[in-house]
Amino acid sequence: MTNHKRIFVLFILMLLVLAGCEDSSPSSRTALFKKVDPAPLTITKNPDQLEQILVDQVKEEASSVKSIYDVAVIKGEKEILVAYKVKHMSRFRMKGIESDLNKILSDKFPDHTFTVSSDYKIFLEAIRLGDKMKKPDFSEKKADKQLKKIISLTNELT
Amino acid sequence: MLKGKQSWIFENHPVIQSTGVSGGPFEGNGNLAKDFDILHEDLWMGKTSYEQAHRVLLEEAAQTALKKSGRSADDAQFFIAGDLINQITPTSFAARDLKIPYFGLFGACSTSMEGLAISSFIVNYRGAKNILTGASSHNAAVEKQFRYPTEYGGQKPPTAQWTVTGAGVALLTENDGTHENCPYTTSATIGRVMDMGLIDPFNMGGAMAPAAADTIEAHFNDLGVDQSHYDLIVTGDLGKIGRDSMLALLEEKGISIDQNKCNDCGLLLYKNDQPVQSGGSGAGCSATVLYGHLLNEMKKGVYKRILVVATGALLSPLTVQQGESIPCIAHAVSIEI
Amino acid sequence: MAKKKKTPQQKQYEQLEKKYETKRPVVKNCIKAFFVGGFICMLGQFISFLYIYFFHFTEQTSGNPTSATIIFLSMLLTGFGIYDRLGQFAGAGSAVPVSGFGNSIISAAIEHRTEGFVLGVGGNIFKLAGSVILFGVFSAFVVALIKTIILMARGVM
Repeated sequence: MTNHKRIFVLFILMLLVLAGCEDSSPSSRTALFKKVDPAPLTITKNPDQLEQILVDQVKEEASSVKSIYDVAVIKGEKEILVAYKVKHMSRFRMKGIESDLNKILSDKFPDHTFTVSSDYKIFLEAIRLGDKMKKPDFSEKKADKQLKKIISLTNELT
Repeated sequence: MLKGKQSWIFENHPVIQSTGVSGGPFEGNGNLAKDFDILHEDLWMGKTSYEQAHRVLLEEAAQTALKKSGRSADDAQFFIAGDLINQITPTSFAARDLKIPYFGLFGACSTSMEGLAISSFIVNYRGAKNILTGASSHNAAVEKQFRYPTEYGGQKPPTAQWTVTGAGVALLTENDGTHENCPYTTSATIGRVMDMGLIDPFNMGGAMAPAAADTIEAHFNDLGVDQSHYDLIVTGDLGKIGRDSMLALLEEKGISIDQNKCNDCGLLLYKNDQPVQSGGSGAGCSATVLYGHLLNEMKKGVYKRILVVATGALLSPLTVQQGESIPCIAHAVSIEI
Repeated sequence: MAKKKKTPQQKQYEQLEKKYETKRPVVKNCIKAFFVGGFICMLGQFISFLYIYFFHFTEQTSGNPTSATIIFLSMLLTGFGIYDRLGQFAGAGSAVPVSGFGNSIISAAIEHRTEGFVLGVGGNIFKLAGSVILFGVFSAFVVALIKTIILMARGVM
């Protein structure tokens, strides 16, 4: 086969492979690009007043940081996940923003443990978990397990 | 006979009875494809390594030259040839299969004329009745040895040249008066090594030009002729830059050569749209163009007397890395018909 | 190695030859390299997103599989004989990204296949990339050492 034909066949194969991997949940598809602004969530199906106020406040605090423009909060049994997106030009100060946010949250809410991450993947998984939790047959236990998985993902370095 | 300081005159006019020219795919797409006896579609030529393919090129050219004269390898007294590969193994291995007593030569890209000069001298003084002489090169084998692996994506500058994949072999024989319309050699000038301090291995044309200028000057002085004596003065592989530099150098020495009379094998071989940067080069460059195209033109009557100046760059990958400059050499042979 | 001193005759010829030497088109080369190199990096970012989206990689961990994928693609292009043409066109644009690194290794491996696997391929595969690896690792070591010393000095003060 001539070189041009080879490239073409390769390209078609790649497209087919990519088309095979599809993701069904609607909001997570564009989570990487657009601002999703999800409601802060808890894993309990019917959260009581206090819990709901807590997560709302956490979201507010995180959103108040200037360089952050999109925040997802999910509260599990023991810990709270705060996933956020940083404005592109401020990406240079990522580490600084992370430690600032950690400080703010641990000062305001000293009784809770927080896991913060600016990673796109964590944000995406948080959105996906939120979508899954909307389904009635998704138990609290499963949700908590999934949340724990996401939090362990934040610790991976390579 | 020795003439002047470094030239020979061949009074007995040794005859180039026949030639064999083989080439690769690039040459097949070039300007002189019709003057090749054998053309291959790819660089492998049915073998498993480029070095073996290189050998095939030379063997086929030698066999073709013998066949065209109706002779066999036994008729040739000597085989005098060379190439660019380490220890000139492709030529030695071809000599093994031809079974002719063998002189291995190394003059880099000037090997073809070095061989023709020595062969003409031997035949002229009846040291042999028939001699097979030639030179060859293979683009991939040479690139692998001198530069980078052939698939490497390095960018070649516009001064670089393209090594010819091809072999040219001539059967030189005693002139017994029976060879009508066959070209014969009349004189040769042996060049000395010139080094003008250039160090860029991607600009060999510029490095070789002083050697060509020096040999042409010596030739004109020794024989007492000037450029009007010849219909064409053709260099082996100076390429665009080398040719211009050489003409300028000769002007400075007071030797003015008409642009139309001066050409270069590396420029003749390829079309303008082939990506050869500055022109062709390699031991096979002067051999394939002379023993194919130029002798055909002479037989057609286009040229009666030509001077072929093959130029060679005597560098190795090691000397370049060690920061040495590039010494060069040029040998000239005059051919008439 | 000290450069040898040139005789006046050599210097004169050098000047003469420079007049006829075809100059490299530097600006054109830079623009071509910029766009090709940028395109390859864009492709890398796209592949990175794919890994983050469809697989369990985070931004932090997607670097390795992305590099591996790009090297794999450059292997295909080198094997099909396309990468050297891209290299002639783009120069540094295709040589600097990790695809150039892959190409240097793979082209050397292909070239020396005829000399056997151990001495031929094994012995020559890092012919071009060897100095990149050596000096890259060594300079990383030196920089890390300097950083450690600075931090320790800061800690002591």
